[in-house]
Amino acid sequence: MNTHPYLRSFLAGAFVPTLILPLMLAGFVVLRLMLQVPFPIERGLVFPMALVPTLWALWNMLWLGSHMHTHLPIAVHGMLLPFVLLPAGTLVASCLGVLALGSQGVTWFHALYVPYVWIAPCFLAALAGYYLVWKYVVGFVNRVLGIA
Amino acid sequence: MNENDQDRMKKLLQQALPRVGGETELERDLWPAMLRRLDQRPEAPPWFDWALLVGLVGFAAALPASVPVLLYYL
Repeated sequence: MNTHPYLRSFLAGAFVPTLILPLMLAGFVVLRLMLQVPFPIERGLVFPMALVPTLWALWNMLWLGSHMHTHLPIAVHGMLLPFVLLPAGTLVASCLGVLALGSQGVTWFHALYVPYVWIAPCFLAALAGYYLVWKYVVGFVNRVLGIA
Repeated sequence: MNENDQDRMKKLLQQALPRVGGETELERDLWPAMLRRLDQRPEAPPWFDWALLVGLVGFAAALPASVPVLLYYL
């Protein structure tokens, strides 16, 4: 199966975020439509629902195109993605009013307060999560689709 | 295209394409290797990955506010 490897890597990369999207949509319906939460959560859905799956897919295509030269394991390659997602997501969130920067911390969705001292551990947790997901899930889908 | 052209095209195609047959036998039987691969058990995750997973769950339990933030970036 040597045809269209980049198309297959795109689909494999978009696989995980596509599984998460219905859960996020369900959370939006429950919070916004059923519980009548006053904050417009839909603004916060733009980044994870519209941009993140595409970025994952393109990141997997980048791995396919580069690993012959870099020999980077897919887990390490996936772990680098938050370095792109963090500034991009923060920029989108602050432009849409989802994120408010304070003197002591960050307020998300007008409700979740995260002190600045927790930002670095959160980022490390994201790195660990991405390492595991790319190693075991994206790597598995890549093997199933014959590109790894 | 007349008959001469067709004959010429046929000869050209026969010259360009490799002859099928004669060398189609495999040098060795691939089925035993396939059976060995099917019997292989997937490797268990290393302890480091288990430790990462436990750390992630512990972090989410210690700071539940981080979960929607992390989901936003997923």
